[in-house]
Amino acid sequence: MRELMYLTVILPLFGFLFNGIFGSKIKNEKIIGIIGSSTVGISFLIALGAFFETLGLPVDQRQKIVTLFSWLHIGNLDVSFAYQIDQLSLVMALIVTGVGFVIHVYSIGYMHGDKAFWRFFSYMNLFIFAMMNLVLADNFVLLFLGWEGVGLCSYLLIGFWYDRKFEKSTVADASKKAFIVNRIGDFGFLLGMFLIFMTFGSLNFNQVFSRAVSFNVPEYVFGFIALFLFIGATGKSAQIPLYIWLPDAMAGPTPVSALIHAATMVTAGVYMVARTSIIYASAPSILMVVAIIGTLTAFFAATIGIVQNDIKKVLAYSTVSQLGYMFMAMGVGAFSAGIFHVMTHAFFKALLFLGAGSVIHSMHDDQNIQNYGGLKKYMPATYLTFLAASLAISGIPPFAGFFSKDEILWYSFANGSIIYWIVGAFTAFLTAFYIFRLYILTFEGKERFGHDKHPHESPAVMTVPLIILAVLSVIGGFIGIPSVFSGEHGNQFHNWLAPLFKDADRKLAIYNFHTHFQEILLMSLSVILGLGGIILAAYIYLKKPQIAANTARKFKGIYNLLWNKYFVDEAYDTVVVNPIVTGSRSFLWKIADNKIIDGAVNGAAKLVDILSINIRKLQTGVAQFYALVMMLGLVAALFWIILSL
Amino acid sequence: MITLILSNLSVNIQAIYPEIILSLTLVALVIFDLIFNKQKKFLPLISIIGLFFAFIFVIPEFGTSRSAFPTSENNSLLSIDSFSAFFKGLIIIASVFVVLFSMSSNEIKSCPDRQGEYYSLMFGMIIGMFFLVSANDLILIYLSIELLSLSSYVLAGFVKTSIRNSEASLKYIIYGSTSSGIMLFGISILYGITGSTNLFEINSVLGFSNVPQITFLISILMIFTGIGFKISIVPFHFWTPDIYEGAPLPITAFLSVASKAAGFAVLIRFIEITFAESLSKSGFWQLIPYVNWQNLLVLFSIITMTFGNFAALWQDNLKRLLAYSSIAHAGYLMLGVAVLSDQGLTAVLIYFSIYLFMNLGAFFIVMLIANKINSENIDDYRGLGYSIPFLSTSLAIFLVSLTGLPPTAGFIGKLYIFFALVDAKMIVVAIIALLNTVVALYYYIRVLKVMFLERTDKHVEIEISPLNFVIILALLAPTLIFGVYFTPLVNIAKNSIQLLGF
Repeated sequence: MRELMYLTVILPLFGFLFNGIFGSKIKNEKIIGIIGSSTVGISFLIALGAFFETLGLPVDQRQKIVTLFSWLHIGNLDVSFAYQIDQLSLVMALIVTGVGFVIHVYSIGYMHGDKAFWRFFSYMNLFIFAMMNLVLADNFVLLFLGWEGVGLCSYLLIGFWYDRKFEKSTVADASKKAFIVNRIGDFGFLLGMFLIFMTFGSLNFNQVFSRAVSFNVPEYVFGFIALFLFIGATGKSAQIPLYIWLPDAMAGPTPVSALIHAATMVTAGVYMVARTSIIYASAPSILMVVAIIGTLTAFFAATIGIVQNDIKKVLAYSTVSQLGYMFMAMGVGAFSAGIFHVMTHAFFKALLFLGAGSVIHSMHDDQNIQNYGGLKKYMPATYLTFLAASLAISGIPPFAGFFSKDEILWYSFANGSIIYWIVGAFTAFLTAFYIFRLYILTFEGKERFGHDKHPHESPAVMTVPLIILAVLSVIGGFIGIPSVFSGEHGNQFHNWLAPLFKDADRKLAIYNFHTHFQEILLMSLSVILGLGGIILAAYIYLKKPQIAANTARKFKGIYNLLWNKYFVDEAYDTVVVNPIVTGSRSFLWKIADNKIIDGAVNGAAKLVDILSINIRKLQTGVAQFYALVMMLGLVAALFWIILSL
Repeated sequence: MITLILSNLSVNIQAIYPEIILSLTLVALVIFDLIFNKQKKFLPLISIIGLFFAFIFVIPEFGTSRSAFPTSENNSLLSIDSFSAFFKGLIIIASVFVVLFSMSSNEIKSCPDRQGEYYSLMFGMIIGMFFLVSANDLILIYLSIELLSLSSYVLAGFVKTSIRNSEASLKYIIYGSTSSGIMLFGISILYGITGSTNLFEINSVLGFSNVPQITFLISILMIFTGIGFKISIVPFHFWTPDIYEGAPLPITAFLSVASKAAGFAVLIRFIEITFAESLSKSGFWQLIPYVNWQNLLVLFSIITMTFGNFAALWQDNLKRLLAYSSIAHAGYLMLGVAVLSDQGLTAVLIYFSIYLFMNLGAFFIVMLIANKINSENIDDYRGLGYSIPFLSTSLAIFLVSLTGLPPTAGFIGKLYIFFALVDAKMIVVAIIALLNTVVALYYYIRVLKVMFLERTDKHVEIEISPLNFVIILALLAPTLIFGVYFTPLVNIAKNSIQLLGF
């Protein structure tokens, strides 16, 4: 199956082309949906087969390169469509195709009746195609192709309902914001890529990473490469300071939010840092920047999530916060823990989004949780699965989120410092609080929606995906049981990925001097904090709803700050966007463009024009004249060649 | 003097099977035309069959490297090597397309009783080109150029009733004879200095003894003039716009692609064999420093592309515009030669293969439109994007490719030329060439603007026959595919730069 991995890229491309070209004529939602989902489903089966085949191989034979064709070969630059199948890319491929397939199936129900049903599925397939290129690429150029491709699909899908209103502006504006903010990050990524090529003379992963070990490269060069790549990651993975696009990305259909803006695309930055772990390990100062940015993002996004009322917005900030955790793991050198969290997060966050989609569906597109309440008796499947996901994200054992989040927190203490742990654990408390606030306001308590609404459970095509993801959210963590419990076998997931990070680990030279006692103590503390968050949320929103209102009134300043998301959007508008807009309008447009550039261009054009008219006059049609010029040319050439001897 | 050594005739005959097949086809065409002079529609078929078999015999030449028809112990008239095979392949592909073009050209159809003459003259041109790309000897080079030219003089004036055709033909003969006279003069001076007409022998004479420098330079430049006339570089280009505009369109297309290919092949072989000292490891040619070829070629190519592009700017006749554009393209191609390295030569071959498809494509669509509206004037193209979307879009793709914008193949051709220039540290030249493409952008895009952005009430309808549809697709496919997936083309080109003697 490993040789067939290229099919996991080709099949979604086929789906995109088929639905994109014929979709508008087929009109049959079933055919479009089945083709769109099955391409991803078959890809998943192939990836699964490749995974088990790899599992059976000895560790040193697990990496395999499947080259489709060499695209460009000039000098040192060799760009091939070559896919690298190894432990890391297989994990990512399984997440992308597995969760992707489930979400595709769900979309058949969710997008039912949409006027551009076919367009939705062709974009979704295109996204899977780009994402598979991103995770399977064996060189930076192909990774960048996927990186830009997912950005494009994200733009197209956020703006899918381009004619609708979104908050204060339009859906189209939200998609533009996502695209533009991502471009800033992509620029950083490109610079990083150039620097890699300059330093190592190659863009192929294996070559670059082995040269990163063997070449004698000063640390500051590694630092710049790592920093530029990380700027790319902050754009794609919505970290401070470029996270602002992700909440607005919720303007897209909910399955898009689940697939692209929770489970897969936004984790591309994490994947990229893990892939280039040796570069980051060679630049410890930048690694610390990664850890700090991740921790801060986790914390600030969680605080914003506490007060938001839009169900998808809460989940969006929750995603930003969880991505922060992943970068925190990367920053302290716990690469496999970060990837583990990518996986469990894909399960439970996709589930939360799909559950939210199910609720929104039955509440006729109302997304305000203050207008929900008591929905559990109307939609039992959604309710139960949502509860499982909420427990998972809160880090309650034995749900999936517990294992991954706890591993990150443990390494943040063991490899990093106690400060990371304190902020991380407090964020875990906040997480439990905001997610159960959301859960209780939606499913528990009194019904607050109007009589015009008749909540109902979603059809099976939507609930079955929920159940699958719920099962994964419950048991998905067991493959990463920490060694403190599993004993001699150690952490299975960690062992699987460890060979990829051994160079980085050696460079970082992390030795664990901490005891099992410490580990269990910290673990218990974080579970207690999580439970505390849940109980507090239950107490406030079930028993004493007035507390919430009173606190909001009492701490009006803080509440406003959080409600307005720290005014970051406004700050960007004042500091960056408006100066650029006014500057462009008054200087770049009216003076630089109109006067200087246009003047130069028009002047050059005029010059060309005059030259051209004169040259044209040479073609007189008189034969003798031509022969004369020919001879003169010969003589002039003779002089030139004698002079240049 | 040349004395052929005919001891091993059968082996030597085998080396020219493609040329023999082409000659037989020529004879067959004449005979068929005489006997069945009512069955004109079989003539193109016979031509294509002949070309097909010639192609089959060209393929095995690829990868070989041998000489044929020895004139002395070490030297011969012909080189059969990958380089010549590559150009023969290009010439055959171009010829097939031109035969297909001729089948639907109104101009050619207007002389129904002289079809046999038309196709057999075309084969005269092809045979001339085949010998030209293999020739090792100045006498053979001259003879093949004459064969090529004499056939094309007649073809340029094929439609005798059209004044435009006759004028083109007459002008062509005048310049053609002038330039071949100059070339022959140059050859005779060179023979006087070196005592030989064989390129290899001249090379060894240059290596071992002193020759009078100024006289030598004059003779080289005179030969260069003859070749420069064929590939229409400024200032030997004056015939090009007039003849391209005047000649029937299929012939114009043929001249702009195939005859130019043969001219470039002979220029490259002339420079590389006559002046080669040794081949350095980095792929840069070490030439005997009698002539500073790089300076000469760079000067001519910059003048050529600048002149071609600037003169094209205000052309209203599309055929004339394409004529100037093909002059400009000759400039880019010559830049690739001017690098004087394997990389530059590879770039030239890549560029030529792409240029073949996009230039033929542009000419073919102009012809199809001219068949209907009887005009090649840009003003008459107004709004065609709406009434004949398929043809207009195809023309747009060919023009964009000629400009050299991605994702079309034209971009890849220019990319490799620029890479070769940059690798040879000829940055300033690369920048001048780059600026030239900006100028070129204007006149190509102007056509698109007229077709797609300007509206008209006139409605033109052109029915595209299935054959023509297939021809357009066959030209479009490489123009688009090589823009994205060009590795095979690059590999073929890399394997085709091997000349006999290296």
